[in-house]
Amino acid sequence: MSKEIFRNPMAKIQDYEPIVGKDTLDELHMLADRLSGKVIQNINSTFTGGGVAEILARLVPLLNQLGVDARWNIIQGNDAFFDVTKRFHNAFHGKAEEIRDEDFALFLEISQKNIEELKLNGDIFFIHDPQPVALINNREKLGGKWIWRCHIDSSKPNKRVWEFVRSFVINYDAVVFSAPNFAQKLPVRQFMISPSIDPLSDKNKELSPEAIDTVLRKYELDTKKPMIVQISRFDYLKDPIGVIEAFEIVRKNIDCQLVLAGGTADDDPESGKVLAEVKERAATNPDIHILLIPPNSDIEINALQRSATIIMQKSLREGFGLTISEALWKGKPVIATAVGGIPLQVKNKLTGLLCHSVEGAAYDLKNLLSNPEYAQWLGKNGREHVKQNFLITRHLKEYMLLFLLLNHTSDMVYL
Amino acid sequence: MGATNWLSQNWITLVVPIVVFLAFFIVSIWGRKIAFDYLTKWLNKTKWEGSDLLIQTTKNPFFHWCLILGVYVALMISVLPMEYKDLGSKILATLFIISLAWTILSLAEKLIRRYISKLKTASPPIKLTINIVRIIIIVLAILVIIDFWGAPITPLLLFLAVLILVAVIASRDTLLNIFSGFQLTAEDVMKTGDFIKLDSGIEGYIVEIGWRNTRMKTLDESIILVPNSKLIQGTVINYGRPLKKATQPFRFYTRLHMKELTGLKATTLSELLGILKRAPGSAVYYHTHHFLEEYQYLTPEPANDFALWIGDALGDEILEEKLASIDIFQFSTISSLKAKIRDVIREYLLNKPAERVAPEGREFHFIKSISVVLPTPYVAHDLREFVEVLRKVSIYSLYFHIFEARLRLQRKNNDFSIWFRDCLEENDLADKIARLDPYAFTLEKLRSTIIQQIEKRIK
Repeated sequence: MSKEIFRNPMAKIQDYEPIVGKDTLDELHMLADRLSGKVIQNINSTFTGGGVAEILARLVPLLNQLGVDARWNIIQGNDAFFDVTKRFHNAFHGKAEEIRDEDFALFLEISQKNIEELKLNGDIFFIHDPQPVALINNREKLGGKWIWRCHIDSSKPNKRVWEFVRSFVINYDAVVFSAPNFAQKLPVRQFMISPSIDPLSDKNKELSPEAIDTVLRKYELDTKKPMIVQISRFDYLKDPIGVIEAFEIVRKNIDCQLVLAGGTADDDPESGKVLAEVKERAATNPDIHILLIPPNSDIEINALQRSATIIMQKSLREGFGLTISEALWKGKPVIATAVGGIPLQVKNKLTGLLCHSVEGAAYDLKNLLSNPEYAQWLGKNGREHVKQNFLITRHLKEYMLLFLLLNHTSDMVYL
Repeated sequence: MGATNWLSQNWITLVVPIVVFLAFFIVSIWGRKIAFDYLTKWLNKTKWEGSDLLIQTTKNPFFHWCLILGVYVALMISVLPMEYKDLGSKILATLFIISLAWTILSLAEKLIRRYISKLKTASPPIKLTINIVRIIIIVLAILVIIDFWGAPITPLLLFLAVLILVAVIASRDTLLNIFSGFQLTAEDVMKTGDFIKLDSGIEGYIVEIGWRNTRMKTLDESIILVPNSKLIQGTVINYGRPLKKATQPFRFYTRLHMKELTGLKATTLSELLGILKRAPGSAVYYHTHHFLEEYQYLTPEPANDFALWIGDALGDEILEEKLASIDIFQFSTISSLKAKIRDVIREYLLNKPAERVAPEGREFHFIKSISVVLPTPYVAHDLREFVEVLRKVSIYSLYFHIFEARLRLQRKNNDFSIWFRDCLEENDLADKIARLDPYAFTLEKLRSTIIQQIEKRIK
């Protein structure tokens, strides 16, 4: 039923040394040495697609390179099962979802089937997201320590679904959330581990000026005008209309252009409608460019971010909002709203600017466009902030610390 | 009868060479004595260390050379046919060359042993040098003898030249290292015990200078072999002899941390005050210190989380300022710091009953800092080692010894000052570092400031 761990030919751990320094890699090796002999069994629901698979595909090979025996398996399920877990996912986000008793029953049935068919062994079982959460029922047989990693924004979960998931979560040794406001009242230890970006991925790696020019030419963008960019799928929650309104206020006095780039989500019937509305709103303004970017266009997104003068993320609601870290990593000044995990990444007036309204966003845009030195200072700080706190090496370090802390309860641990 | 007759008729042809031989021999011995007396006096004046060896080694061979000279003169004045004289002189010359070569070889060997043993290298290359000199002298002697006997030596010379060239090319690195080793010791640029830093960044103490490699002990106690040529050709900083050794070495630790969520959150000042009362010290520590690590590139760094939240989420700039201005450096325990924060909020609330509520999603979430302390491979035994390690450890190591040790482990002082005072009796330096307010610096700036203070003390 499950597919055994793969080998990922991505970046080598030593490739990160020029970025994070030798001392950081030395510390990773020190932690990895202390995990020698332990088997870390990661389990989620898919090898491809989605943020969890993307981060595991990078983290597991890097852990292996450090000498940690990290493995990765997935659970199996039919369409009905994944339809239920998709609705669980939406319910975690606070979306009103109708979950019937038979849905819970199906979830339990498929979970039990996975318990019976999965050939697992490990010292630490690292379970990602709600889909495989019920594997904890096999704890007595498998032994070891169990961690549940919630990658979803669980700040306002649907009560019924959360109570159901919680009944499994309380049997774990530790739970991990991505932001402080995702934490719940639980009788088990809760750790905070923020997600991370990979500086060597297509989305974040350095690009040549030629590669950037190619993308700008493709989308017929004016390279001479200051460029304000927001990259996000076309969704009301990303407030693209609000971004256009802020831009129009600024455009009255400052010659600049706006790029709204993103895709539409297949599972979101509203996204096509949002795109149409945005196009209509921007139709009369030649300085507004609406770019429908196909999936897997990481290099293009990277190039647009690198050619931006200012990057915006005027979301009305956000999960962790890792696109902020991607923007900051490019050394660009960022204007964003203080929602979800954004304030963790943008410390107002230090690593970017936080706004709360269209007028506030317009004021910040003017401020940055008129003061390029200030914009540059914010961009420089933002990049340093990501380097210290949101790169994959920090993620690796915290996962290894988490594994090591499972056997300690003190606030001060000597290893 | 024939022989008797021949002797009676030609006795003089025999006696004259014998007499001449004896005369030359006696004169030579006498001349040898005078020459050696003068040589001894002259050598005594020069005070050359090898004078005794020169006298001892050449005295006996000189006797043989006097004999050879006597025989040669006797042979020349004898009535023997020219071809015999020629043959005889060649044999005598050959014997002389062999004896001379043997003497030079013996003298050279003794001089090499004497001089090389004085070099400060751990295993001086005596045998190798002697073998090289032996080969050179023997080859030269053979060439001279061959030339003397009239045989052509050009092909042999060419062959030897090629042989030497091949040998030099094959062992050019070894030879380079050997010559570099000689140069290092002869010029006295570095000695065993010196602390050196190579341009590659490797640094440590010289354990021994060998004839090919120099052994170094690095600060993480590993032994590194550096080819001598690298030390001559590259840039090497020699810090000289070790400084005063500490009574106990300083082991550098590093500290990594995890954020543990408590599930406690506040939306108003009263709630904050209430939760703060029961919040663990590790949460107060986190909210007053995490910015040091997370915003280490900023000067000045942001204030503590309580002040920031009250300013940003509650919009109360007066209380924000009051909390931001709490000087953490003045507190030696977390509990006293926590009490101060609570006092400031409580006092403020007494005069400001109308409470503000944080907007949804902007609550204050209490987070605990879980510190994980690990030993690094770095140990310092003196100030120089200390400063070199301090340059290379991660800032988290610096953080542990300066911030965590002082406040969280309640040592009331930073680890560096404690070690300077207790193990090195460097009281002034200890005081200077202890007086530094670490909260006023970025971690990198703090590192460079401490390094400057120590370097000033070393110089």
